[in-house]
Amino acid sequence: MSRIITFIDAIQEAIAEEMRADESVFVVGQDVRGAIFPHTANLVEQFGPDRVVDTPIAESGMYGVAFGAAQEGMRPICDFMFGGFTYVTFSEVSVTTGQYHFLHGSQKPLPLVITAGVGTGQRLANDHAMSIHGTFAHHPGIKVAMPSTPYDAKGMFKAAIRDNNPVVIPWHMGIMMLKGEVPDPSEDYLVPLGSADVKREGSEVTVLANSLQLQHALKVAEALVSEISVEVIDPRSFVPFDMDTLLASLAKTNRLVIVDEDWESGGFAATVSARVMEQGFDLLDAPVLRVTLPNMPVPGGYMEEYVAPNPERIEAAIRQVCA
Amino acid sequence: MVKAYRMPKLAMAMNEGTVTEWLVEDGAFVELAQPLATVETEKVAYEVESPEAGYFRRMLEEGDTVDCDVVIGFFGDSLEELGEATLDEFSDLGDQSDTPEAIDTASDSPTHEKNFSERQKVSPAARKKATQSGINVSTLQGTGPDGRVVLRDIETALVSLQDLSLPAGTVLARVPMTGMRGQIAGRMQQSLLAGAQLTANWESDITELLALKDNLPTRISVNSLLVRALVLAIREVPMANACFEGDSIILYESINVGIAISVEGDSTYDTGLKVGVLPNAESLTLVEIDVQLKALIDRIRNNAADSKDLVGSTVTLSSTAGIGPPGLMSTPILNSPNVALLGPSTPVKRPVVVGDDIVVRTLLPLSFTFDHRALDGEPAARFMRALHDVLESPAGLLD
Amino acid sequence: MSLSLAQKKLLFTNLTRADVFNQMMYRRMMQGKLIGFYHPAEGGIAPGVGACTFLNQDDNLSPHHRGHGIAHMLCKGIDIKYYLAEHTGKVSGCCQGRSAFHFSFPDHKVYLMSGFIGYNFAPVVGWGWAAKRRGQGQVVMNCSGDGSYGQGRAHEALLMAQNWQLPVIFFCENNGMSIFSTANEMHPMPDIASLADGFGMPSVVVDGQNVFEVAEACLGAIASARKGDGPTFIEAKTLRFKEHDIGTPDLSGWTERSEDELAQLRERDPMKVATEIVLAEGWMTTDDVDSIREAALLEVAKVEAFADESDISRPPVEDLLQAVFAE
Repeated sequence: MSRIITFIDAIQEAIAEEMRADESVFVVGQDVRGAIFPHTANLVEQFGPDRVVDTPIAESGMYGVAFGAAQEGMRPICDFMFGGFTYVTFSEVSVTTGQYHFLHGSQKPLPLVITAGVGTGQRLANDHAMSIHGTFAHHPGIKVAMPSTPYDAKGMFKAAIRDNNPVVIPWHMGIMMLKGEVPDPSEDYLVPLGSADVKREGSEVTVLANSLQLQHALKVAEALVSEISVEVIDPRSFVPFDMDTLLASLAKTNRLVIVDEDWESGGFAATVSARVMEQGFDLLDAPVLRVTLPNMPVPGGYMEEYVAPNPERIEAAIRQVCA
Repeated sequence: MVKAYRMPKLAMAMNEGTVTEWLVEDGAFVELAQPLATVETEKVAYEVESPEAGYFRRMLEEGDTVDCDVVIGFFGDSLEELGEATLDEFSDLGDQSDTPEAIDTASDSPTHEKNFSERQKVSPAARKKATQSGINVSTLQGTGPDGRVVLRDIETALVSLQDLSLPAGTVLARVPMTGMRGQIAGRMQQSLLAGAQLTANWESDITELLALKDNLPTRISVNSLLVRALVLAIREVPMANACFEGDSIILYESINVGIAISVEGDSTYDTGLKVGVLPNAESLTLVEIDVQLKALIDRIRNNAADSKDLVGSTVTLSSTAGIGPPGLMSTPILNSPNVALLGPSTPVKRPVVVGDDIVVRTLLPLSFTFDHRALDGEPAARFMRALHDVLESPAGLLD
Repeated sequence: MSLSLAQKKLLFTNLTRADVFNQMMYRRMMQGKLIGFYHPAEGGIAPGVGACTFLNQDDNLSPHHRGHGIAHMLCKGIDIKYYLAEHTGKVSGCCQGRSAFHFSFPDHKVYLMSGFIGYNFAPVVGWGWAAKRRGQGQVVMNCSGDGSYGQGRAHEALLMAQNWQLPVIFFCENNGMSIFSTANEMHPMPDIASLADGFGMPSVVVDGQNVFEVAEACLGAIASARKGDGPTFIEAKTLRFKEHDIGTPDLSGWTERSEDELAQLRERDPMKVATEIVLAEGWMTTDDVDSIREAALLEVAKVEAFADESDISRPPVEDLLQAVFAE
């Protein structure tokens, strides 16, 4: 049995269910009790202020709560509200976090989850629109994932909370209200991190896209149905990254467009493109194309609409790679 | 002028809103800042105000939810104006200036390769498939961007070669096109596709040559004599002793004669073909040619050949003499990358004119395949003439 | 430091303008004529006016994000029409429509506004240090809320400003709220100003609903800083009558602030407080008050007309890319 819920409510369900199942799971952030975003709604009422913690506007201190608690065997979910705010305490979340398990001889795990809202579409400019998955994917020792549907959101957040490693799992504000089928709460399911998902089958070109851009890509694929057969793959995780699914798709289509709502320079799309070239060179009938944010701070006003990846740009890339 | 009223975006993460209650009548005149409707977002309810003064048409039912920026009403200077307004007029985002063109994909990365070299562009997948199928990409005109050869070009080339309809019936054997058979298949196809080869056929009178041969102190094979004839003819037309390499033709001083040798196939119903190489034939005597040729054939037939025996031919001899019917004319396929191949077959007795008499002579049918990319008609004809002359006046074959 | 009549009149005028501008922003949001966020300043307009009315053109200012710094900036002589054009995505905006509402007026030494609370504390150290080096008596007015003092960098700034005796005024507009979190819950001490004690920095707490009281304290601190006597911490106790930002519920902790609670807060509406004072002191009549308000409304109308008549900023991507680096 299943029902239709929104993307953000699916995340709330995941958090609530995990908190119910495991006492050591708790949420720490700013204004999470009052739920500035709905995924922390109705938590303090159920679990009390000790397990749903509001901190001052002190990102280092706030993350310190999560980091230290995780070292002490608890399972924190640290909510940064907006992805860009992770930069306020960046050395802690990237360097100290990523290296903890490895450098210290794999003695202890660091089971924590970092989440935040990211993404273009709200006309808020760089601070509130930037993505963080590419930056965190660059730092070793940190898992990075982003769900694109309510079903994936619930399953992936659960997997992240149960993972014994630091997992950065942002959510895109543009799909906050996206509705989708999710199994009843009685069904405890996980979507394992590190697994990609073919969201739409096709034969002539592979489009790799995630969260809001996945929805754009599906729209474009449907619009092109009588012209070009487009296969759309949602990577779901950036670290670890499911290369097998991608290569199997390329063996079929021989063409790849990567859509990434992150800057062109040094973004994750470049990493995938390099890996495809190394591991799947002979599968390519055309160069890998990327549809990314140009190398400028995300502008405000009305500029996002044509600067950021959008259906028009995705369609143009598909046509170009199939030429 | 009619102006659209759109669902306002009141909150940071507001993607849609619901008009729970209109606070003005449809068609009413509304003042600037007058409360217009109660709008609920995902979190809060607001009383939105009119941004204009004018007559207002309500385009949304109470209780309906739409995305932000969707048109939910119109303002007009008069009721008549409102009556004409349609939603279609406002499908774009209001009175904005034109949207700049969608930018190229990887933004500030080049979308077309700069031409740093004149090499033919071939996609990796196409190149791989071409190699596997024995197609020479350099012969193809690419239909991809910038003339790139892409998969569909290989597929097109293949389809035109294949007969896709298989007959029905009990299958005797299935011979996979792998191993030696696969190599032969690939090389033959590639040879035909790559070059501009044609075959000329004639007969040479070898009655005297055979008589000469029988009078030699040692048994010399006809093939050895033919090798010697080739050497002499090549002196006249060196271009017949050459190979293609990239965009050049390499003429060689040494005459390494490739000899087509039939061998056992990989499976019961199959045969095999190997090309042994007799190196430096120009420096060998007739007897030496014969001895080395026999040894080469033996080695190859006994699987004792080493790699030197199988590579480096500059011209090829492929004989079906004694196997095919007398007088067989054929169109042998060049042994790429050679420019020329001589294909003799089974001699035949014919009445010919000598002087003014008709006599019975033994004639050797010869097929000479050459690649017109290197060897034009005139030098080819001269080559064949030289060969013919030395075969019909065989004293020259003896050192 | 007591205020002259001229100073008081200027303060009252600026307060009225700040009030009218703030209402305009809220109204525009309800009319769908604003993009992005607005953080309403109802109840909290007096501190900014008191702090900034007497700054010079060449003093640095970091305005508070509440009310988007409009109250602060209009006092410093910044033409708000360029701010509104920016906040409505127009070419004529102060940042060519690129910043959403993250304004910058470098000629008035308002260099940046950023989305990260507490971003101001790093640059103000630099501005103070540069001002001290120049030795021309410029000061740095750093306005931010109680929440911002949670940031580690706030403490770094206090440390360094006091240690180097930089001409920085740490002006804390304490309205007791940060989105939903209360200052009571987030700070161990009732006064944010007590942070200054730890660094040996002089501090004072004032009634942030009384623009005149705020101004007096600020004038003193500004004079001090200009003389080279180092930083001062001024805490203005103020109020927030509305939600943190339009579209977010008005919660305290996780329950809605009640109508009664809000009605009580509104008793100390700064416009009400100031009007009562000026009328009581007798140097203004209600007609004067009304005509000041009318002038402010006219000013706002012009600002709105400028923004609404300007073109939307949608330059080609190539042009934007060219603008990433300076010449």
